[in-house]
Amino acid sequence: MKTASELLRTEGLTKRFRGLVANDSIDFTLKAGELRCVIGPNGAGKTTLISMISGHQQPSNGAIWFQGQNITKLSIIERARRGISRKFQTPTLFDNLSAYENVELAVLRTGCPPRKRRSRILEVLDLVRLVDLADTTASTLSHGQRQWLEVGLLLANDAILLLLDEPTAGMTVEETASTGRLIRRLGQELGLSAIIIEHDINFIRNLQAPVTVLHLGRVLVEGSFHDIEHDEQVRSVYLGDQ
Amino acid sequence: MSTALSVVVDATLITLILALAAFGLAIIYGLVGVINMGHGAMLTLGAYLTWAATTAGLPFVISIFLAAAGVAVIGLLLEHIVIRSFYDRPFDTLLLTWGFFLVSTEVIKIVFGTDLRNVANPVPGAFDLGGIQIPAYRTMIAGCSLLLIAGSALVFFYTALGIKIRALIQNREMASLLGLDVSRMYKLVFVTGSFMAGLAGALISPMLSVDPYIGNIFLVRSFFVVIIGGIGHLLGGTLIGSFLIGGSETLFALFSGQVFAQTAVFAVAIVVLRFRPHGVLRSG
Amino acid sequence: MKQRTLKHRSLLGTTPGDLLFSEPGAALIVFAILALLPVFFSGYMIYILPQYMLFGVLAMSLGLLWGFAGLVSFGQAGFFALGAYTMGLSMKSGGGIIDPAYLGLLLSLVVGGILAAAVGYFLFSAGVRGTYFVLVTLALSIMLEQIAVSQSQITGGWNGMFIDRMSLNLGPFGKISLFDDAPMYYVILPAVAIIYVILYTITVTRFGKILNGIRENEDRLISLGFNASLYKTGVFAISGAVACFAGALYGTHANFVAPSLAGVLFSTEVVVWVAIGGRGSLLGVLLGGILVASFSNYLSAITPEYWQLVLGLLFVAVLLYFRGGVAGAVAQLVNARRAK
Repeated sequence: MKTASELLRTEGLTKRFRGLVANDSIDFTLKAGELRCVIGPNGAGKTTLISMISGHQQPSNGAIWFQGQNITKLSIIERARRGISRKFQTPTLFDNLSAYENVELAVLRTGCPPRKRRSRILEVLDLVRLVDLADTTASTLSHGQRQWLEVGLLLANDAILLLLDEPTAGMTVEETASTGRLIRRLGQELGLSAIIIEHDINFIRNLQAPVTVLHLGRVLVEGSFHDIEHDEQVRSVYLGDQ
Repeated sequence: MSTALSVVVDATLITLILALAAFGLAIIYGLVGVINMGHGAMLTLGAYLTWAATTAGLPFVISIFLAAAGVAVIGLLLEHIVIRSFYDRPFDTLLLTWGFFLVSTEVIKIVFGTDLRNVANPVPGAFDLGGIQIPAYRTMIAGCSLLLIAGSALVFFYTALGIKIRALIQNREMASLLGLDVSRMYKLVFVTGSFMAGLAGALISPMLSVDPYIGNIFLVRSFFVVIIGGIGHLLGGTLIGSFLIGGSETLFALFSGQVFAQTAVFAVAIVVLRFRPHGVLRSG
Repeated sequence: MKQRTLKHRSLLGTTPGDLLFSEPGAALIVFAILALLPVFFSGYMIYILPQYMLFGVLAMSLGLLWGFAGLVSFGQAGFFALGAYTMGLSMKSGGGIIDPAYLGLLLSLVVGGILAAAVGYFLFSAGVRGTYFVLVTLALSIMLEQIAVSQSQITGGWNGMFIDRMSLNLGPFGKISLFDDAPMYYVILPAVAIIYVILYTITVTRFGKILNGIRENEDRLISLGFNASLYKTGVFAISGAVACFAGALYGTHANFVAPSLAGVLFSTEVVVWVAIGGRGSLLGVLLGGILVASFSNYLSAITPEYWQLVLGLLFVAVLLYFRGGVAGAVAQLVNARRAK
């Protein structure tokens, strides 16, 4: 079944909260180096899916495979060490530390030798366009900059699979555009994979990545943005939602 | 046979007295999430105010209510000046209420001195039950404790106010959307908790010699009662927590000294806390 | 290059002025002054000051925990008293093959470290929260006090235990008596300085930086793949070992230990010292312990209640208005001056 380039696979992933089924038997695969957008109306189960992949929530049923290994029972810590790293919906940072110190903490967990840490930190800060703000306290950064800094933490943490929960929320149009460029660069140049939860349709269109549509905890349809845009089911879900 | 009976009686009395002492803490922690490290000081204040009022010649029953009201007023001031801006920061309220303990203990020492004070027992004597002597006043306090908890249960479950408070614990945002004045409800809860702490201190005062640290005897035990019973399980949790803490202390004391029994109970409580951080009533 | 404007330059770029205004520079001055004091003073001050320095170490044990890892322990006095009892018992035992004083010091480190590690791991591995940790440490303090009271055949119960002054055993070079206050002073002062240097070093290493991460956002740190509970256990173990070690020295210096040394009131006094001294700075905390304890001793002869009241109000004021304490305020002043 498994192909060489497969990075992540979920089988029948299900999450029940008391009576409510947040994720209903989701089969989801991601290739190495692939970017994937996950969209869907509120309550479709997007964040739940990401939380189960990152280990922040345990599935009620089903299994998660990463790089050919079953990681369903692994803790958040063990998954992060294998390269699954998560950005939360609201930026989650070390608020009273500088941008530099934030990234430094992420680097400290990796095997980066001490004398190379500094250049690694600056490299990451450069990537997320925060070098000039390296000494700025995280809490005083703008919302968009905080989002980037958190992405920077994942990069500095040597993530292979980035789970990005609404990376452009609260960003200006320009910030959103450059976030799109950043994420594409991560895929093309660094060969990283990402699952991106988004609401911004322009952002998704520009990213040119395959899209998975969730609805009521199930995968409604998967395909290119063009296909999704013209899919009758998707249209009815979104229109019906309004 | 009479040993078994006396153990049962002892355990019952201790359970109910401990529940009384812990009830104010359970209200404040369970409903508004403040770990009130000043709880011990509130008990102490209740005891001293009772001493002051009875010494001034007032009848005991009036004195205890005056004392409780006095502590409620102090709780109101504490809430209004300090606590209300910190409800979403439990760690800060813990330290700030400890600051309240430090300050109020020193004020008590300045106002009342450090000598032991005694409040005359309003119901002296004991009655005989199957060959064992049961102190009348303790029995009365245990009854008061039951009445208070039952009364609070009525308010909590059967009045409009109780429904509002329960809505508030369930979902703070929803409650404010429904037009409940959240900050006033919080204030009301904090003051009620302070009142209960003051009343408990007042009722306990005739049983012990009153000194500036009398409330601290109950502070940690009250916390364990609340945590083990389960936060938010205001009524059943307090009783069960008190039973586990007070009852096991009685049991341990059968085989060892009183002092060692307390140590053992704390150790057991810490183990329970580790494995059941949400209390024994919550499953999973 | 842009990078040159960053504060995070390598040590090579540090000027002598930077050192003078940094915490280690200030610490150097403080320890130099402390080292010179016995030259100019004698008597009670030289007798009592080492005890306050050990209180300062006790404060640092909490400062490391609170200021860096964001954990507050209300049980530090418990460890301190445990150290004093350990010292007393090993002095009584005569020590066997190793000198009883050294045995006491060594055991205090081990006992304090192991007890803290065991309690810490037991709680942190289950995800027990910071607020509950405070309550457990408070209970720990009470339990240790109660054990000291109830095990009177070993500890002397309420009456306490007398502990001999240690002497410095130099093996083939003989023994130096520390019965006089000045030699004792010059044994305790370097011990305090060494502990300061060790703790300060810890705060700037990888371990210390990770502690900062725990204080700032533990969930974030876990999501980055750090085993936060292990680091918390580690810092609590260090803190317990340091407090216990300081207690061992204190016991042999004061010649006496009683159960109240473990009590809640003393434990929380430590919290007050640390808050006022400034929990972000180990030097601030050390001085907080030394100075507040000195003032307390001096003023409680004159006006005990009002002094304690002032301390309580200061504690609340620090929590409400200047969380960095005195050290934080001084650092702000110095930085503002230098920025001009």
